[in-house]
Amino acid sequence: MTKASPAASDNEDRIDFSMVLASAVHDMKNSLGMLLNSLDELRGEMQGSASSASRFNTLQYEAERMHNDLVQLLGIYRLGQDHLSAHIEEHFVPDFLEEHLARHSPLLEGLGIQCRIEAEDINGFFDADLLTGVLNNTINNALRYTRSQIRLTAQQREGYLVLGVEDDGQGYPDSMQHSGTIRFGALDFNSGSTSLGLYFASSVAALHREGERRGSIQLHNGGELGGGVFEIWLP
Amino acid sequence: MSESSRRAMEFGKLNYLIIDDFENFRLSMRQMLRSCGADRIEQAGTAAQAIRHCTYNHVDVVLCDYNLGEGRNGQHVLEELRHRKLLKRASLFLMVTAETSKQMVMGARENQPDGYLTKPINRAMLDQRLGALIEQRNALYPINRELDRENYPEAISLCLQALPKHPRYRTWLLKTLGDLYFQLGDLSHAARVFDDALKQRELSWARLGRSKVMLANRNYEDAVASLSQLIARHPDYMEAYDLLAEGLQRQGKLVDAQHTLEQAALHSPNALLRQRQLAQLAEANQDLEAACEAWRKTVTLGTHSIHDSADHYLALAQSLTDLSEGDAEEAGAERADEALNLLKQMGKRFPEQPELDLRSRLIQCRVLAGRGKASDANRLLDQIREDGGDGQSLTADTALDYGKTLFRLGHAGEAKTLLAELAERFASDNEVLNRIEALLDEPVGFRQKLQARTLNRDGIKAFESGDLSAAVEAFSQALEIVPDHAALNLNLVQVLMKQRHSEADSSALLDRCQRCLDRLAGLPEQHRQHRRYLALRRKLEELTP
Repeated sequence: MTKASPAASDNEDRIDFSMVLASAVHDMKNSLGMLLNSLDELRGEMQGSASSASRFNTLQYEAERMHNDLVQLLGIYRLGQDHLSAHIEEHFVPDFLEEHLARHSPLLEGLGIQCRIEAEDINGFFDADLLTGVLNNTINNALRYTRSQIRLTAQQREGYLVLGVEDDGQGYPDSMQHSGTIRFGALDFNSGSTSLGLYFASSVAALHREGERRGSIQLHNGGELGGGVFEIWLP
Repeated sequence: MSESSRRAMEFGKLNYLIIDDFENFRLSMRQMLRSCGADRIEQAGTAAQAIRHCTYNHVDVVLCDYNLGEGRNGQHVLEELRHRKLLKRASLFLMVTAETSKQMVMGARENQPDGYLTKPINRAMLDQRLGALIEQRNALYPINRELDRENYPEAISLCLQALPKHPRYRTWLLKTLGDLYFQLGDLSHAARVFDDALKQRELSWARLGRSKVMLANRNYEDAVASLSQLIARHPDYMEAYDLLAEGLQRQGKLVDAQHTLEQAALHSPNALLRQRQLAQLAEANQDLEAACEAWRKTVTLGTHSIHDSADHYLALAQSLTDLSEGDAEEAGAERADEALNLLKQMGKRFPEQPELDLRSRLIQCRVLAGRGKASDANRLLDQIREDGGDGQSLTADTALDYGKTLFRLGHAGEAKTLLAELAERFASDNEVLNRIEALLDEPVGFRQKLQARTLNRDGIKAFESGDLSAAVEAFSQALEIVPDHAALNLNLVQVLMKQRHSEADSSALLDRCQRCLDRLAGLPEQHRQHRRYLALRRKLEELTP
């Protein structure tokens, strides 16, 4: 099994706890990946047995959520280790969003949530791996709060590529609405929601730079569906 | 026809190969592929099966799991398929992974797959991702076909035609175009492609390409500067390290080049070719500890790689032997044992190659001699002599190794005869002649060689600062270790001649000079020090009353 990161310590007696955690997270993530794979296959086999569908959806949703959280944790670990740098490449944006939607489509169908993509035919410059982490997490979050619809958007605004995830839920509470960059020190680990996901998204956005301009995230309410709107702005 | 049935039809036209060690994954992947419209689907459970299949069958799309259990992984499979040209450029290779750890992705860079699929995979994802890649494959097929035929000029003109037609594949087209111009030696057009891309924004592939052009134009300083900058921004961009090391090497900064590759190896330790490059650089820098470490990794990585070679085993065994010679500590004995074990392994892995066996035994001789087992060493040497190791039919590498062994076992005369014969056989090969010279100059163990070199450096420093007697002392000590060293003898002669002016008794000094020059009486004409030797001899004759 490949580990996330080699043990860097010369002193073999000292436990590098963050490294131990990262390895454990890595293993758990891979196990959950297997679990999700089996769930997809099971869903294929049990088509139509409506009585268990809702419990099945919960199972899959929560497993997805854990999986995303772990992916993100690893991302943050690597961010802390300075292993993470953005590999900016050009991508065709509609394809990129389609791919993300496809990952979530079994669950979306199971939950009866409609999801549509409204993207201009544009190329964008970003690190696909990092953005994948951010979008998975955001879509997963939208799944939790939406009533029936999710909208993925992509447009060119003020010289930035803006990717958006909108839902028709209650929207973000006032305290969470903001824009710009989130510092690790500003996270509140005592409150119920640590906003670790937002920290990750914000860090990923900030890794995207072009000249003087930097990426950022924005949270607000409204949009076309009237619920929460998450936007990541990439230069 | 609807979009989805058109796509299903495209899926149906191609040949697929699924590689995964778990049968369940293979079956579920096959199920998903079928429902996307694919029909001709084959499976392999191991790397060996997969490669055999590709040897005899045409495959358009390979879906390969990265982790294949024990033995070779997906990267090894891709490496071998590309190296043996079993996979066309027009084919697609997708790496299926349970993760996209940077380390794995980095190891994959040298042989890049066309895409990654991250587990868990569902049908919709596969349909979307693979569908988009197939669409791209179809759009770019004419170009890839010309690339497979190595018809580069045609590929260039197709790229230029496609640029305005397919804006969504712009990056691929520009990269390919720049690379093609570069390969054809059209550096100015290559530079323009990369510069245009950079004008739009700072893209690492374009910066790398631009630096490559600078290197090819022998503009080493700018290339090194731009690559250093690229690495500072992207510490995990492996190609940039390789290129930077090359630039530093061309500037003659071998130590810096070695450090650059050492840094790269920290980020991505699994690239065999880079470890080998590092080992060779460290050897050139006389950093034998580092060379040994890098050779050890090269050998280990070779276990599953198409790039495996007996030469790596020999190089590691040599460096272990050199390090163990004259090391009375436990580490010396351990290294000697490791060298012997390694040679045994090599014999099993590369059987029935007479010359390899001979080289293995020559190294064994030195290991035994180095451990103070002179009689065992000589017994083995007698066997080698009996088996026809007369030097006449040997390759230069082997003959040099033979000579080195003879010196170490105290048969200097025999060694010199062998090397003289070798020099005659390779009279027009400067590289071999230089190596013969180096061995004749310093026919001693690694540690002694370093010691002599340090003394030589001290002597030169003392000479430059005007401390002549310190210089004489240092050169004399060095000559006690390597008495036949041409440059050293001449250095000493030069200092002694200068010292003569300040000394009362100059005839003793001149005698000493004469003895030094007598030692070099047999110096062959092609030796780098030959002209200097003649000049100093003439000068001595003038000085002698």
